[in-house]
Amino acid sequence: MLKLKKISVHYGTAEAVRDISINVEEKDVISVIGANGAGKSTILKAVSGLIPVSSGEIEFDGKRIDGLPVNKIVSLGLVQVPEGRKLFPYMNVMSNIKLGAYLRKDKADIKSDLAKVFELFPRLKERRAQNAGSLSGGEQQMLAIARALMAKPRLLMMDEPSLGLAPIIIDNLSKAIKEINRSGISVLLVEQNAGLVMNVSEKCYVVEVGKVVLEGDMKDLMKNDSVKRAFLG
Amino acid sequence: MTYLLTSLFLTVCLIFLPHFMSGPYYVHVFIITMMNIILTSSLRLISLSGQISLAHGGMMTIGAYTSALLVMRLGLSTWYAMLIAGLFVALVACLTGFPFMRLKGIYFSIVTVFFSEMVVLITQQWESLTGGSGGIYNIPAPGAIVVTGLFNIDFLSKIHFYYFALFLMIASLLILYAIEKSRIGFILKGIKQTDSLAESIGINTIGFKVLAYSTGCFFAGIVGAFYSHYISAMCPDTFGFFYTINILVYMTVGGIEVFAGPILGAFVLTILPEITRVLKEFMPFIFAAVLIAVIFFLPEGLAGLFSRLIAFIKKIIRIKNA
Repeated sequence: MLKLKKISVHYGTAEAVRDISINVEEKDVISVIGANGAGKSTILKAVSGLIPVSSGEIEFDGKRIDGLPVNKIVSLGLVQVPEGRKLFPYMNVMSNIKLGAYLRKDKADIKSDLAKVFELFPRLKERRAQNAGSLSGGEQQMLAIARALMAKPRLLMMDEPSLGLAPIIIDNLSKAIKEINRSGISVLLVEQNAGLVMNVSEKCYVVEVGKVVLEGDMKDLMKNDSVKRAFLG
Repeated sequence: MTYLLTSLFLTVCLIFLPHFMSGPYYVHVFIITMMNIILTSSLRLISLSGQISLAHGGMMTIGAYTSALLVMRLGLSTWYAMLIAGLFVALVACLTGFPFMRLKGIYFSIVTVFFSEMVVLITQQWESLTGGSGGIYNIPAPGAIVVTGLFNIDFLSKIHFYYFALFLMIASLLILYAIEKSRIGFILKGIKQTDSLAESIGINTIGFKVLAYSTGCFFAGIVGAFYSHYISAMCPDTFGFFYTINILVYMTVGGIEVFAGPILGAFVLTILPEITRVLKEFMPFIFAAVLIAVIFFLPEGLAGLFSRLIAFIKKIIRIKNA
């Protein structure tokens, strides 16, 4: 479904990622794991079209999408939950969620999706009139995901959703991710938290300083000593 | 509701005000005040998207010259000329907006300052068209509106300009208010809060910023055109850098968060120098002192002072009733 073919990204002259190839199939949960500065977020930003790729190709459903404007990419169904749970802090929860459906015209579907999102995150329904900036960290992450879901993604890209959250909240998060995947949405997860990754995904890419050093099924990777040392301690 | 009643009341007051004024000087002060209110409110529309433009002076200059030259060189009717001037300024803002809006924050502001200065230089140097530093004189007043038997507005007296300015102000404020309360205003506020997120949702942030920019500049163009026909003379540096800075100060002092802020700020800070005319030489200092005081003590601006007062009075009433 989503194919990254040997992409490289530069910030000015500095190389952030080099020759990265990643493959996401329909209904997959794929993870990209790596330390700080490995280039994980850069990969997602490149897919979303927020930064240009300097070489390589990105394909979605067999069509090239690198170079397309962001709004085109979103309307294809590639939606990102940005790092640090970015929200509109001075707008209430409801407005935040509704803005997620900005590009959609199908009013009836938006309504039923809204109901589904509230079913997934009942807490948000309780707080729908509250300003997004006043929510707790976990709730803000839920809201960021809820907003992304309102864009009717076919592939949801999450950038470190576990950042700064308590372990119990991360458990909720992995349940939510599984739930989202069960409803037919593929997930590309970028993480540092190996626990969350092991919990939700089948296939994983390990990135180190801008390059994929390992890839494979979650179970096989867990047997790998260097992975264990790096991410499980 | 209180908002609506207050604005209706103020409008009625402004309609009858000239009858109580003792001379053309006061009428002039109010015309300038209303101009400044339009300028400051339109600047706020641009700032809704998070960008502070300092191009208003330049845009007014373009509007003023366009309208004056259309009338004097091409013999166009003043009414059409003013409208065309506004639209032309909006077009200029649209074309320059796309490259400018790639910059954010202070960098955008700096580029708009340069733009304004560039406009001044061009009008100074292009003598064959603009008359150079000497400026243009004898710009005609707007054509008379005559409804036989009812009224005859010939723009020979300042009162007529007063009502014209009042009409412009009310129309502009209504349009600006409608934009702010519409979906466009909502999206602009979203862009201001988290620019990159708005983009990742699929909002064309540059497009919306340019839309706000050129709409705001449209009003600056109209006001510039109005001014040239009102004063009947125009110099390249009439709306120089300090004029723009003044508008920015009006907006900051009035309060950027609420719609009434710029209106309040422009009103108070246009009237204040007139009342304290004996202190004219110290005016920049007084302005600076007011600005610093507001930034320190009233971060929400004068408009915030009002809402604080209302909250305070309500509190007192509650305590008394308890």
